[in-house]
Amino acid sequence: MVNTLAPVTTGRVAHGAAVDGRSRTRRRRQAVVAYLFLAPALLFFALFLILPLGFALLLSMSRWAGFDLGDIDPVGLDNFTGLFADGSTFLAPILTNTLLFALGTVALALAGSVLVATCIDKLRFQGLWRTLYFLPIVTTVVAVGNVWKYMYEPGGLVNGVLNALGLGSVAFLQDPDTALPSVVVVQAWASVGSAILILTAGLKSVPESYYEAAALDGAGPVTVFWKITLPLLRPSLLFVCITQFLTGLQSFALIIVMTKGGPGDATDVAALEMYRQAFSYGDWGTASAAAFVLFVVVLGVTLVQLWIFRRKGEDA
Amino acid sequence: MIRRRFPWLSYLVVVTGAVLTVVPFLDMVMTSFKGPGESGTLPYRFLPEAFDLSNYRAAFDQLDLPVLFRNSVIATALITGSVLLTSSLAGYALAKLRFPGRDFIFRLVLSTMMFPPFLFFIPHFLILVHWPLAGGNDLFGRGGAGLTVSIAALAMPFLVNGFGIFLMRQFMVSIPDEVLEAARIDGAGEFAVWWRIVVPQTKPVLVTLGLLTFVDAWNEYIWALLVSTANPDVMTLPVGIQLLQDYVDPTRTMPIVMAGLVLSILPVLILFLLLQKYYIRGVMLSGLK
Repeated sequence: MVNTLAPVTTGRVAHGAAVDGRSRTRRRRQAVVAYLFLAPALLFFALFLILPLGFALLLSMSRWAGFDLGDIDPVGLDNFTGLFADGSTFLAPILTNTLLFALGTVALALAGSVLVATCIDKLRFQGLWRTLYFLPIVTTVVAVGNVWKYMYEPGGLVNGVLNALGLGSVAFLQDPDTALPSVVVVQAWASVGSAILILTAGLKSVPESYYEAAALDGAGPVTVFWKITLPLLRPSLLFVCITQFLTGLQSFALIIVMTKGGPGDATDVAALEMYRQAFSYGDWGTASAAAFVLFVVVLGVTLVQLWIFRRKGEDA
Repeated sequence: MIRRRFPWLSYLVVVTGAVLTVVPFLDMVMTSFKGPGESGTLPYRFLPEAFDLSNYRAAFDQLDLPVLFRNSVIATALITGSVLLTSSLAGYALAKLRFPGRDFIFRLVLSTMMFPPFLFFIPHFLILVHWPLAGGNDLFGRGGAGLTVSIAALAMPFLVNGFGIFLMRQFMVSIPDEVLEAARIDGAGEFAVWWRIVVPQTKPVLVTLGLLTFVDAWNEYIWALLVSTANPDVMTLPVGIQLLQDYVDPTRTMPIVMAGLVLSILPVLILFLLLQKYYIRGVMLSGLK
């Protein structure tokens, strides 16, 4: 399933002997056409990938209040040391929140999707179930965030259910202790559909004969799940885990919509802090430095992912 | 094995999960019909007293919904069209043309997927605002709003997509070379080969990529928020609806927000329900990354 690492070339060594003049002009013409076809993409990457990266790197090592590009003031690594200085909130709670947010989302989404995917596999109307579980994924974060924010309110659905069960109301998003878990639940709710999809595909690739053999040996459903389903599902599980973790590390749109990082900094995460430093406080230098710190974390996780999958590829 | 008995436990799990997934949407729809003082009050009630459409009217009054809708449509169309075109062209070059630097460029395209989007919000915004000689800027990018004066600013950072190029290339590799070679011998140029043979053969993937791109573009929030802050004229639906929260009378805020949300998610929802086969395949394919 994950195969970025396959050799890049598509094969076919040029048939070297037949290099006469005609094929040489043809080949040259093909190169020109190829670069024409690639031109829009390459131009875009130059303008919207390489230039911004350079600019962000420059900003991360500068002090700048915005406005005039001539006023960019180089300060070396001050922005980075500032982030990790005593009294800075970046390491704790912000980076800690980021990790908790990502880990919490992965744990919940994984548990939910494994449970549902193994059950869906045994049912009819799989398409119908899949469609329902997919609704949150095609819905804008503004809708997801507002609906849940409203449901968490004292007069909202969640507290309505709690009250109906005879339990007291909870100030989910207003209490610093419950705010982060409450947002995690929503992020997991919104991402469980694609996890189910990938796990269902993984389950389909488990040969039926394994289950038949287990049934002949008298294995119960629990044993089958732990001894057969789960081990064979490992590649899909790993994939879901890592991609969800990466998404969790970077997402902040849901938090902007639901809590804006509050109460206090109870739900402030690194990407949101970057956003606020830049667009609320005008501290572009610190914001860019925060972005690069988070990027290093994300890159680290990505490299671990590549390493794991490469090793798996070699095993197979 | 377990299929022989009725899997009641599985049904219980799946149905419970489905209810948990759908109920927030139902709550949104129900709330959008609730009258003043009916929402956010205790005790909670799921159903509205009457299905009254005044919140929908209020959403139209508070927001210039046709303009928001137009902005969202234009941005989404620009992004989707551009991603399809550039991915298909670049994918064809990388899959079927031989030229020096091909492997390098393919690796470059792959590596673009490693950079997370949050890294670009700040530089993209600054680059667009300080674009020289645009939107009242001087040669050094000072004085004006730069490219943010145009609706195109909403689309610009998303016009090319590394994953899209990768996806198209992977599918085009499997088109037999003989077919392309035959067309070339018949005198077709590379552009004609691409348009008349490659594009028709990759239509299903194009639909999938188009749908994934469309949904992402329609739902995009953070970038649209930034651009709309610089220039409110290009506000999109999600940004506008989020703004509703600050505008209206607090006893009616949530029902009106919900009404706006229902209207804004309907187009994507309909498209998804009609073409979900392609969308779901797209999500599976994104596992290829």
